[in-house]
Amino acid sequence: MAEPILKVRNLAVGYPTPAGMLQPVKGVSFDIDAREVVGLVGDAGSGKSTTALALLGLARAPGKIMGGSVKFDGRNLLTLPDEDIRAIRGRDIGIIVQNPRAALNPMLKVGRQIGNAYAAHNGGSASDARAQAIEMLRMVGINDPERRVDTFAHELSGGMAQRALIAMALSSRPRLLIADEPTSGLDVTIQAQFLDQMWQTVQMTGSAILLVTQELGVIANYCDRVLVLHEGRIVEDAPVRQFFAAPRHPYSQDVLRLYREKGSDYPAQVASGAPVLMQAKGLTKNFPIRHSSKVVHAVDQVALTIRKGEAVGLVGESGSGKTTVGRCLVRLVDPTDGTILFGGTDLSRLSNAAMRGYRSRVQIVFQDPFDSVNPRWTIAQILDEPLRLHSTDDAAARRKRAAEVLALVNLPEALLDRKPKGLGAGALQRINIARALILRPDFMVLDEPTSVLAPRARNALIALLARLQAELGISFLFISHDLTTVRFLCQRVAVMYLGQIVEEGSVEQVFSAPQHPYSRALLSAHLFPDPTHRRVDHPEAAALQGEIPSPIDLPKGCYLASRCGFANDACRSTPQVLTQQDGRAVRCHRVVAGEI
Amino acid sequence: MSALPDIDALPALPPKRADWLFRIGLVIVITVTILAAIGPYIGPYDPMLTTVRVAQPPPSLVEIPGLLTSWFAGTLPYPPHFMGTDVSGYDIFSRVIAAPRTDLVIALTANFLSLAVGVFLGLIAGYFRNVATELLMRVSDVMQSFPVFISAMVLVTLAGRSTSNIVIALAFVYIPIYIRLTRAEVLSQKSRGFVEAARAMGNSEIAIALRHVLPNSLTPALIQSSVTIGFAILLTAGLSFVGAGVRPPTPEWGLMISTGANTIILGEWWPSVFPGIAISLTVFGFAVLGNALERRYEDG
Repeated sequence: MAEPILKVRNLAVGYPTPAGMLQPVKGVSFDIDAREVVGLVGDAGSGKSTTALALLGLARAPGKIMGGSVKFDGRNLLTLPDEDIRAIRGRDIGIIVQNPRAALNPMLKVGRQIGNAYAAHNGGSASDARAQAIEMLRMVGINDPERRVDTFAHELSGGMAQRALIAMALSSRPRLLIADEPTSGLDVTIQAQFLDQMWQTVQMTGSAILLVTQELGVIANYCDRVLVLHEGRIVEDAPVRQFFAAPRHPYSQDVLRLYREKGSDYPAQVASGAPVLMQAKGLTKNFPIRHSSKVVHAVDQVALTIRKGEAVGLVGESGSGKTTVGRCLVRLVDPTDGTILFGGTDLSRLSNAAMRGYRSRVQIVFQDPFDSVNPRWTIAQILDEPLRLHSTDDAAARRKRAAEVLALVNLPEALLDRKPKGLGAGALQRINIARALILRPDFMVLDEPTSVLAPRARNALIALLARLQAELGISFLFISHDLTTVRFLCQRVAVMYLGQIVEEGSVEQVFSAPQHPYSRALLSAHLFPDPTHRRVDHPEAAALQGEIPSPIDLPKGCYLASRCGFANDACRSTPQVLTQQDGRAVRCHRVVAGEI
Repeated sequence: MSALPDIDALPALPPKRADWLFRIGLVIVITVTILAAIGPYIGPYDPMLTTVRVAQPPPSLVEIPGLLTSWFAGTLPYPPHFMGTDVSGYDIFSRVIAAPRTDLVIALTANFLSLAVGVFLGLIAGYFRNVATELLMRVSDVMQSFPVFISAMVLVTLAGRSTSNIVIALAFVYIPIYIRLTRAEVLSQKSRGFVEAARAMGNSEIAIALRHVLPNSLTPALIQSSVTIGFAILLTAGLSFVGAGVRPPTPEWGLMISTGANTIILGEWWPSVFPGIAISLTVFGFAVLGNALERRYEDG
């Protein structure tokens, strides 16, 4: 067995705080072998990013590396003189940071940036650097690299900018690449593209990767080995299959519990005789553009039916209009056209004052738990507000009810007199859910409620939502780009693309046999946390080409035609209609005709 | 939730220098405030009464301990003039410490008037954006494009030279700052999740504006208050200096400098320099306090 390229022993990082020295990383030890892809997973605050930085001998001020050793190539990086370690950073160890789009300098040509990164460590003339830049761009799959090398970052599409960044990080063919949550905040299709490209490029350069992430899907699909960081220590170090099959540490078991218990069963369908609770027909929302007669077509003729006790998932990439649909249903946005029937009343026609009477029955939970509560209020005041507005109870009864809903979302009553500051994302999101539940609504919109949560908090929240649905019989519209969550929670699912629903059916129908080309692409790009079907082992043809068209000037025919591998002339010229077929609906004439 | 806080969220330790400035500012502001309450009664002389000793220079520093000793022993014929006397025979020290009663009270009242009006208009302008509020913003742009000193001078001259008119003029010229600050904060607060949540709960727009947006938008205006009070003191003094402020013989720093300026050419520097130092220190104190508060707010 070859010697590992990186040997970390007892690495510790400390931060001085008014309360004394805090150690986010306390004694971390692990190895990385040549050409190995190692995932580093853990909650927010577990010390992942701090560890990654410390490997380069860096600590964010006022932090300090307190001890341990990082042996790379037999040399301890922590005791090397500054010049020597600077030579290693970027040349032998490459870095890709969070938010890759912001990492390219908008003032320099792409080729110059890649060339500079190369020349800084390898010397050589300007023409060498340029040749190397072209070579790297070719390697990351950019067409016509001789021309692209002279473009600026803003001239590249998002996907190409990310490839350029990979090219920059790998231009010196580093032996180790540290990627710190490189895809956080990206859409699934782009995330998959980026990780595929990174993975393929390191196959050519022969680099090892330390991939820092919170996403189990990313770990399962790209990594060979998993390191679990919990409270500043590595609590598990296992090959990826073994980790998913038999996690040993209680924290890892906690993280994986949901996937392991639920197995591959789909949630049971709501009885078909269940009464319809919420029904949107022809829902349309256009946003006018300032100083222009054009409009943004955010939502286009959306129809949705949600039965009593049913959870309907609404999935799609950012910009597909799913959030606007959710907001229209609870009238936070006034639809341009269409009806929203809720128990026989058309909410879209109500005046603001009349709508206030329905606010106790339709509720919404937002994506960002920190932003959704008034920071100056105590939890008791936050939970009291809906009761104060809608109930006639006295203060004592209202406080009792607030304690009740806190218990319902598994939070201690003692929180009532605290303020939101200092609470974690998971706890705050439960408070948001408690506030939405306190008036016993019939219908709730959940707008990406789990997207900012760390894996464990996310699992707990999903379990909580499943329990609430079973116990209280509330209907949900669950808006999410996380297909794994939708698969666990929802009975039916609608897929949105550019403001339209392109496919709708039971979760089982859509997930096991997606019909619309867009649904297929979305599902194939999704990283399910299952290491036995790794994406890198079963390469799939790029399902969609190009970028999403602008929602201002929409194509005449099918909106997907420009990106779809199945498109023919009829697709490009005729608008597509949503066609019902055996309990599901699909917006594609070729699928309906049985051609694909 | 893990027991460890998110390391990214850990506050950086505030720099030492800022803390030091904050304390100096606080000491000056507290001293001036105390003087505004009791200044006119604790000086060795009545600030409104002249003495027979005209244009007497201040004692030199080495003489002061001896003067104090004999004063307390009761062997002096009259209390010492620590900062000398002016051409009319007023004791400058007694007047310098009595002046905050005039300056600070004018500045404080003016500031709180403009704070109240400015925050209210800023809330409306930020929360309800329409033709009327856009018009309000344009009017406030025009107001801000005049130098505050000129605007205040013109206003006082037009309305008449009384204390209440000075207060109103000062309040008026500072209103646009508060409108702008509050409006900017309201614009960012009103798009936050808790505002939308409040709407989803069935609050009326007015309730949302008053209960959720306003309390979360006050901080910048409150911090600005400290700076504005300092500058309002300077402006009060400035108005008296050009003869558009309070009437003599009210003890007031600007007025004292103005009186002293006539004789400075004869080498009598003390009637104007001591009130000048008092103004500088006070404005400095309020400004650094405001800066330190702002930094603390930005650091969270």
